[in-house]
Amino acid sequence: MEIPLAQEVIFGLVIGSYIALGAIGFTLVYGLVNMINFAHGEFITIGAFVGYLAVAEVGLPLPVAVFVALGGTAVVGWGIARITFEPMNDAGAVPLLLMSIGLGLVLRNGIRVIAGPDRRSIRTDVATYRFDDLGFFVTSQQLFIIGLTLASVLVLHLFLSRTMLGVAMRATADNEDLALVSGVDTRRVRNAVWLAASGLAGVAGVMLGTAQAASPTVGFGQLLLIITAAILGGAGSPYGAVAGSYLLGIGITVSVVFLPESLTSLNSTMAFVVLIVVLLLRPGGLVNREVRTS
Amino acid sequence: MSAESGRLEDLPVDAVHLGAALFVLAVLLLYSPLFVQPPGGTFTVLEVVVLFLLYAMILVGLNLQFGHAGLVNFGPVAFFAVGGYTAAMVTAENPFGAVGLGLAWPVGIVAAVLAAAALGVVLGVSTLRLRDDFLAIVTLAVAEIIYDLIIAFRDYTGGSLGLNNVPRPIAGTTSAGDGAVLVSTIIVFGALAVLFYGVFRRLSASPYGRVLRAIRADEQVTETLGKRVFRYKLAVFVYGAAVAGLAGALLVFYNGAASAGFFTINVTVIVWIGMLIGGAGNDRGVIGGLAIIMGFQLFTRFLNDQIPFVTQDQFASLRLVLVGLLLMVIIKYRPEGIWGNADELGVDS
Repeated sequence: MEIPLAQEVIFGLVIGSYIALGAIGFTLVYGLVNMINFAHGEFITIGAFVGYLAVAEVGLPLPVAVFVALGGTAVVGWGIARITFEPMNDAGAVPLLLMSIGLGLVLRNGIRVIAGPDRRSIRTDVATYRFDDLGFFVTSQQLFIIGLTLASVLVLHLFLSRTMLGVAMRATADNEDLALVSGVDTRRVRNAVWLAASGLAGVAGVMLGTAQAASPTVGFGQLLLIITAAILGGAGSPYGAVAGSYLLGIGITVSVVFLPESLTSLNSTMAFVVLIVVLLLRPGGLVNREVRTS
Repeated sequence: MSAESGRLEDLPVDAVHLGAALFVLAVLLLYSPLFVQPPGGTFTVLEVVVLFLLYAMILVGLNLQFGHAGLVNFGPVAFFAVGGYTAAMVTAENPFGAVGLGLAWPVGIVAAVLAAAALGVVLGVSTLRLRDDFLAIVTLAVAEIIYDLIIAFRDYTGGSLGLNNVPRPIAGTTSAGDGAVLVSTIIVFGALAVLFYGVFRRLSASPYGRVLRAIRADEQVTETLGKRVFRYKLAVFVYGAAVAGLAGALLVFYNGAASAGFFTINVTVIVWIGMLIGGAGNDRGVIGGLAIIMGFQLFTRFLNDQIPFVTQDQFASLRLVLVGLLLMVIIKYRPEGIWGNADELGVDS
């Protein structure tokens, strides 16, 4: 017996996985630094290239390359944030947002100058497991991506709930001033956030590099989906972001079945429509955060 | 204000009069047998001037929205595109594989302005209560949606091929060649740009503009003073949308075609960076900023031929790196822009 839509759901889980890792970082930065980071996609791109270099040039196996990308992107992203965003932390939401747009332009095109516009795929051995009776197949690569995301979410959960730094992080996200007077070193928290957000973006980059290819715009192409997922889940909430990402990923792939063929190119457009509808009807997202002025 | 600009303001003629007079002159020139033939090598520059005038029209609306009222509209290109494609679809005669009603061009202009304004009303009513940064995301997403729709509905819009056979009213008045058409276009568009600059400047210099700046400074206080903040925001949003729609229609009637390449996010980026360089809220400054950024782009275009060992693709990317750096430097070291007022914008420099 074939399970209806099983194949679409699997594809959706894969898409949701790399959106999720991007969206967690995006939403952490939003919650703690209070900025919408339009350069977040570029952190993903950096991760994709670090992963590509580690696999194709150095010859590391993929799981090791994931850790290299995690560490490398975390440090690079943190360093960039220290230079650009940290000195103007008090400037307010809009200047920070404009800053990130400038930074995105610089990084995206800087990478393009160095690497060229080509797409470089991270080659891995892929085994395919067919379940023809049930009407779907799944590859080892897809299982790897989904499993890696779930593991990352689990680690993040343990970090946020069981470590002092994680608790301090949640306290700062809730109320920065109160956290500060309670003795939380908010600067240290912000450093940790940038490390975590860019590290997760790096992992997402490696996934995109294997599933698609490393190119200067690979991360930027995911940015609006990431923002949509983060807002869908309630901006600032990492758990909401994960839920929002999988909802969005599965929504995109399943909607392809129901859309006429000429409009399948519109499925990412549908995501933006979802974004707007969410902001209008329930701007707080799944966990109901307040995003209106008054 | 310096003594010189003070004298400028004391003149009995302001930009509205000047724009209207220029427009009358431009129309007279169009219907006279006279024409101006520019020297051959200047076509690239003149093409950029045409775009500059259209972007300036978008920018006067955007500056009223962000510079005065504080609305973070990241999708001005959406209205530009809607205006352009509406005008094209209403007026094109038998375009290849797209919709073309073949009506007269004035109908196209009216339809373009109405369509862009209607989008402004719908978008404004639904989103203007959102916080600054979320308004930015929504307007950006709307611009992306409209671009995607233009590409996807190729049976109506011509998709990535574009929509041709659109009338060219200005080109139709002369047979003296492309150069003369360019000059006439610049005169007409220039007159319109000055006119709208004047209208929006009058608006921002009036008590109405003062309310807008009060909204920017503190919405709740303004509301407490009995001003209907939401109505003001909506009106400003729709004004800007309508002017951007008109600019889109003008672009299409100048090109004789609508093509998606003219309505990418780059328009938004250029107009925003121009505004930030010049200093948001300073009506004259933002136009100066736009001139700086577009002049920079034009200048670097010529520079490409002079530098060896750099491919065209790399050079285009390098140029965008510089634009991004410029934006970062401005935001960090001079957030009020070159001619802006730091106190009014509420930024520390």
